[in-house]
Amino acid sequence: MNTKEPYIIISNMSYRYSDAKHYALEELNFTIDKGEFVVILGEHLAGKSTFCQILNGVIPNFKGGEMKGSVIVGGLNTQEVSVAEMAQKVGMVLQDPAVQLFTTKVINEVAFGPENLCLNVDEILERVRWALQVVGLAGFEERSPTSLSGGQQQRLVIAAALAMWPEVLVLDEPTSQLDPIGTIEIFSLVQELNKKYNMTIVIATHASEEAAQFADRILILHQHRLIAQGAPQEIYQNTKLLEQVNIPSPQVSRLATYLEERSLRFPEFPITIEQARKGIEQLVRRSENCGLQPSKRRA
Amino acid sequence: MSALIECYPGQSLFHRLDPRAKIVFLLLFTTVIFIIQHIYLVVAVLLIVIALWGIARLPLRSLGGYFKMLSGILVFLFVVQATLYPGKVILIGPIIPSSVPLIGGKGNITEEGILFGFFITARLLTMILILPLVSMTTPIDRLTLGLVRLGLPYQLAYITTTALNQVAVLKAEAGVIMDAQRLRAFSTFEKGNPVAKMKAYPLLVTPLVIGAMHRAQLVAIAMESRGFGAKGERVYIEDIAMKPSDWVFIALSVLCCLAVLLANFLS
Repeated sequence: MNTKEPYIIISNMSYRYSDAKHYALEELNFTIDKGEFVVILGEHLAGKSTFCQILNGVIPNFKGGEMKGSVIVGGLNTQEVSVAEMAQKVGMVLQDPAVQLFTTKVINEVAFGPENLCLNVDEILERVRWALQVVGLAGFEERSPTSLSGGQQQRLVIAAALAMWPEVLVLDEPTSQLDPIGTIEIFSLVQELNKKYNMTIVIATHASEEAAQFADRILILHQHRLIAQGAPQEIYQNTKLLEQVNIPSPQVSRLATYLEERSLRFPEFPITIEQARKGIEQLVRRSENCGLQPSKRRA
Repeated sequence: MSALIECYPGQSLFHRLDPRAKIVFLLLFTTVIFIIQHIYLVVAVLLIVIALWGIARLPLRSLGGYFKMLSGILVFLFVVQATLYPGKVILIGPIIPSSVPLIGGKGNITEEGILFGFFITARLLTMILILPLVSMTTPIDRLTLGLVRLGLPYQLAYITTTALNQVAVLKAEAGVIMDAQRLRAFSTFEKGNPVAKMKAYPLLVTPLVIGAMHRAQLVAIAMESRGFGAKGERVYIEDIAMKPSDWVFIALSVLCCLAVLLANFLS
C-alpha cells in the first residue's frame, strides 16, 4: 500500500543534547514515504530513541539541545510547531507500558489525548471506541490498566496513540519488555495498521526476526549515523556489515550464509522461515533432478 | 505508605460523594486542626475522623505499616514534649540529677508537658488520618477533575494528582531496590542498628531518586506525545455534578468546624 509520497523529510539533521560533547545523531538525510513500514536497527545508544523523539518534536521542543537541519513531518517543521500539534500527526509508543499509563480506567487512558485536543465528547467517545476495537481491547473500557497483561498494556498504549488519529506511528522498542506472544501481538497489530489504514510505521527495535518479516525498509544506525538502508533482503544479505555493527541476522539468514560458505546456494537469500522453507524445497527438487535420491526415511 | 493514597473501591457514603465536597472537607478540617489549641477539641476532631473512617468502610489494616513507621516519631514527640515542656506541676523530678554540670536538674516531667505531648501527638495523628479519607475513596481521575472544577489550572491539578500517584510507584521501586540489595546479602535495613541504617540510606535513596527522575521524564514525554498542554479548554468525557447529599456534607463539615472553633475561642 506504499503510495511513494514522502511524508517525513529529514535534511542534514544533526542533534546534540544540551551539555553533551558529542552529537547523538549526525548528518541524517533521508525520507520516509506515506504508508511505509520502516524498522530502525542499531546497538544500544546508537541514537534510535533520540531519532524516535525527533519525529514527534519532543526533541528539541521538550528536551532542548542543539539541532541542525530540518525534520518535516506531514508538511510541518517539528521545530516550529508544538509537541501537542505534532501529536495529531505522529503517535508515539515508548518501551515501558507502565510509564505511559497514568489513569485508572482503560477508557480514560485512551480518551486522555483527544481530551487534550478539546474535541467534543461524542467525537472523543467515537475515537476511543474505534481505537479499542482496532487493538482488540473492546470490552475492557472499565478495567484498570494495571490489571492488563504486558502485551495488552502495550496495545492499550497504541490505542491511546491511535485515538489522536495520527498519520505516523512511532514505536521505540515496543516489545523489549514483552514475552514472545506479546511481541507477535504487537507486530501483527502494527502490520494491520500499516496495511489496512496505510499508516506510516517507524519502529526502533532489536527484534531482527520480526523486522525481516514485516519491514519494507530497514535503516541501520551506528555510532549516531545512518550507515545503511535498504530492503530487509538486501540488508540481511550483507553479513559483514551486520557483524561489524553487532546486529544479529534472522536465524534462517545465518543458516543460508553458512550453507553458501559450503557452496550450497539458496535460489533466493531467505530472511523469513517461509522463504527458507521454499528455498529448501527448491534445493531438494534440484538435487532430485540431478539424479540424487534423498535417503529413505526409516519407518 | 502506598496504601494510604491508593484508592479502595467501595460504595460507602464517602465513596459516592463529589470529589469537590471531599476536597472542601479536607481543607476545612486540616485548617481547623492547626488552629485549635485545646486537647479535648483535638481529641473530639480525632474521634470524628475515626468515625468517618468507619463510615467510609476503609480497611484499618492499611494503616498498620504506616503506624509502624510513624510510631517512633510519635513516641519521640511525646517524650520530648513531656520532659522539656516548661510546666509547673511536677509529677516526676528531674531526670538528670542536679549533680551533673550545666544540664543538671533539667528534664522535669510535668503535668502540662504530658498534656502537651498528648496534644501534639493527637494533632499529628488526626492530620495523618484526614487525607486518606479523600485519597482512598476517590479515583485519581475524579480527584483531578474535582481540583479542576474547583478552579485549579488543569496542569497544576494534574501535577498534584500525579505526584500523589507516584508515591505508590516510589514505594514499589524502593521495594525492588531493597530486594535486590537483600539478594546480595545486604541486611542492614532489617537487622542493623539505627546508626547503621542511617548510614545505609544513601544506598537506597540514590537509585530511588535517579530512577524517579528518569521515570518522571518518560511520563512527561508520554503525556506530551498525547497533546498534554495543548491550547484551548480541555474537555473531559466524565463529568461530576454536585448532588444534594454533597451540599449537606459540606454544610455539616462547615458547621462542625465552626462549632469546634467557637469552643476553642470561648474556652
